[in-house]
Amino acid sequence: MAGKGNSLSEILDQMAVKIMMVEPGDLSVVGDLVNLVEELASLAGEKDSPLLARMAGEFHKVLGQVIMAELPDSPENFEALGRAIGIMQEVARKGPADELSKGFAESLGATGYVLSEEFAPGESRPAAPEAKPPAASAPAEVPAATPDFLQDTELLSGFIEEAFEHLESIESNILELENNPGDSEIINNIFRPFHTIKGVSGFLNLMTINKLAHTTENLLDDVRNGSRAMDPEVIDVVLSVGDTLRSMVENVQEVLEEGPDKFKEFDISEYIDLIHTIQGKQSGASPPAAAQEAPAAEAVAEPVAAEETPVEQAGPAKSVPASTKAPAGGASAPAKPAARAAAKVGASIRVDIEKLDGMVNAVGELVIMQAMVRQNPLVSHIADPKLNKDFSQLSRITSELQKTAMSMRMVPIRQTFQKMVRLVRDLSKKSGKLVDLVMSGEETEIDRNMVDSIYDPLVHMIRNSVDHGVQAPEERKGQGKNPTGTVRLSAYQKGGNIVIEIVDDGHGLNTAKIREKAIARGLIRDTDNLSDHELNNLIFLPGFSTADKITDVSGRGVGMDVVKKGVEKLRGKVEVISQPGEGTQFVIRLPLTLAIIDGIIVRVGSERYIIPTIAIQESIRPRREHYNTVHGRGEALMVRDRIIPIVRLGRIFGVESEYDDPCEAIVVVVENEGRLRALMVDELLGKQEVVIKSLGGYMKDIRGVAGGTILGDGRVGLILDLAGLIAVADLRKEDTAEDNKASVEVETETV
Amino acid sequence: MMEESRAGNLDELAGKYLTFTLDEEEYGVDILKVREIIGVMEITAVPHTPDYIKGVINLRGRVIPVIDLRLKFGMEARDYIDRTCIVVIEAHGDEGAIMVGLVVDSVSEVMNVDPEHLETTPSFGGKAVEPENILGMAKVEGEIRILLDVDNVISGGALEGLAE
Repeated sequence: MAGKGNSLSEILDQMAVKIMMVEPGDLSVVGDLVNLVEELASLAGEKDSPLLARMAGEFHKVLGQVIMAELPDSPENFEALGRAIGIMQEVARKGPADELSKGFAESLGATGYVLSEEFAPGESRPAAPEAKPPAASAPAEVPAATPDFLQDTELLSGFIEEAFEHLESIESNILELENNPGDSEIINNIFRPFHTIKGVSGFLNLMTINKLAHTTENLLDDVRNGSRAMDPEVIDVVLSVGDTLRSMVENVQEVLEEGPDKFKEFDISEYIDLIHTIQGKQSGASPPAAAQEAPAAEAVAEPVAAEETPVEQAGPAKSVPASTKAPAGGASAPAKPAARAAAKVGASIRVDIEKLDGMVNAVGELVIMQAMVRQNPLVSHIADPKLNKDFSQLSRITSELQKTAMSMRMVPIRQTFQKMVRLVRDLSKKSGKLVDLVMSGEETEIDRNMVDSIYDPLVHMIRNSVDHGVQAPEERKGQGKNPTGTVRLSAYQKGGNIVIEIVDDGHGLNTAKIREKAIARGLIRDTDNLSDHELNNLIFLPGFSTADKITDVSGRGVGMDVVKKGVEKLRGKVEVISQPGEGTQFVIRLPLTLAIIDGIIVRVGSERYIIPTIAIQESIRPRREHYNTVHGRGEALMVRDRIIPIVRLGRIFGVESEYDDPCEAIVVVVENEGRLRALMVDELLGKQEVVIKSLGGYMKDIRGVAGGTILGDGRVGLILDLAGLIAVADLRKEDTAEDNKASVEVETETV
Repeated sequence: MMEESRAGNLDELAGKYLTFTLDEEEYGVDILKVREIIGVMEITAVPHTPDYIKGVINLRGRVIPVIDLRLKFGMEARDYIDRTCIVVIEAHGDEGAIMVGLVVDSVSEVMNVDPEHLETTPSFGGKAVEPENILGMAKVEGEIRILLDVDNVISGGALEGLAE
């Protein structure tokens, strides 16, 4: 032991110093200690000092309990821990000895900590204060019920987060490997995360995960050194293992958040067998259809492993973010998932989402204040060229700052696109079609808040393309097409929007059939004259499906409607373009960010409103001859051969407008969900990008108002919610008596 | 804090209160809930809200709603003059902490209310303020002040009739 002791001693010396500096309530020092003891544990493992490694493990657990306030952080306890460190120093210097073990056990025991079997063999456990998982509300059940791994909840949250990342990386790498089976770089990229997961899960006592990862890692090692070929069997089983591991990690997360009664036992014996088979022979069984789970019985799930695993491999333990950012004493929420920095190859850091949002908000306010100062009448009267120059500079810097802050909220769409690869693979296998997924523009960035919401619509559209668009290989060959269909998924920025396109080279939409179905459902009339393009876009209406065959994947007429709603929720638009026999193209347009909206500021009376630009078709001053009143239906305007109902914003909002006669006012033609309306306002004030400010819980549900914003002069302007506005307007029309203007009664066509 | 059951311990109501005037009566709110006091400013009206919700204002970059307490308590409305103030409080409505501005006639002072000043709330019979908005009454130097429960004032009834 002597001689190897150097760095071990160094670490222990540092620990000894730290423990002297600890004060009750000062968790940051405890955090440092945790880091050190982890280092110690892994180093001890490497240097073949199993006793020291075990001691470090126990010490680590005690620290964990202190952090979670399960053990008091009293001076006496820290003294006892100090003694324990002293003993560990002796072990490092002189080697293991029985009295040292005993002394160690005693000092840890003095804190109230209950040692694991190895250190207190034969000692009966006193009524064990089991580590209560943070969120559990269940009273103390049978002590053995608590899964062992709940001791280190902070490390656990970190592990969960990283595990998900590893699993995603494994999946995308495996899929790439399918196309390049020989690429050893990729194989390494798959091996490493498994190795890491194995290591950390072992350290954290997540034994089932550990075992499964370990077995798979061995298989991959065989592939890596050439004793096993990489073939579809291996690929399938790795994919399958990945799914199972994901479920297991999700379950751990559940337990962390909701309590130990959520714990599910996973039976991995089939996997182990399968992998061993694959390792042994060249051909073998297929992966079990689904991961087996034994649902927890009424009372209790047995803890996974009875044995304590001595702290293992070095490296993996380090990859878990240490608990240096100790939560305010005893905080029970798991660490919030940190934001991802843009996934560049360069250095990146993890940032707490709250801090980021806080900063973005502050920058937003800075922009407003800067504008307000600039526009202050006293200031603008100072005709000093230097002042103006300085203001310009200030404005430029602020703008730059805002752009940067906003860009921090953006993430590449790559992650979402990657998920589609797996989807297409599974779909094409299931439907027996050959489909190639080609992606481009994955580096295009979208607002972080949009990522989740865009996933579902994309899935629906890709399903649609593979299921209904691309034909079966024989059919395609018969038509002289390549038997493998192509689905092209691309993203790019254009004109202040993000555009996502999904193009397939299948047989396109059957416009005639759509027309039939639409008539059958009473959506259009036989006599209606709609262009092919308009007919095609009817598929976004609820309940619409022309599929003859309903698969479990699509055909129920739910998909496209969901897509449209999902996209509109993000203030975007979706449309479909189709060429019969050639293919179908879906185009989604989304705003760059949800926090800012581009709008036209209008004035009604003394109030100002913002109309989202994306909804505006045109604005005009009505001509007398185009203005009509419709008996019992209100006023309307003829615009380019269409009759559009007029909506008087002033009346809807209870504001007195300057102009009563539409022909003296301005009308803004807007479109929302296929409906056109002519909004009557007094004046157009300008076009501007405004930051959306929520009106708060109070006013979330006001029809017609989507939010507020602070305009350049510091006053609040209301952002219009057109859907709500139109609904309100329609209701009023039914109550309002006919307008008193001179009128020509005209029959309207419903738009 | 001092917002527990009203019917309960009067002593818990002791503390510092910001007092203000409404229609010749003096009221008080827990000073710890007051974020700031500002002079009345231009309020952007929000449609389809009860009349006592005057609208929203820009409070250093945040958009917060403003309630006219006179209207909320069914008193006669009055034009805003330069003494009129907006008391910005941070309270806990049904959905967590929110900031709301309250329009009052004028602000008086910050006052210490000791347990011996506190009295139980007599039944008002005809007075505007509903009992559930009142924490209690304080009689300090001969003057009666009605202590308001701000959390209640801004939540509950206020949200009715909003979602149409």
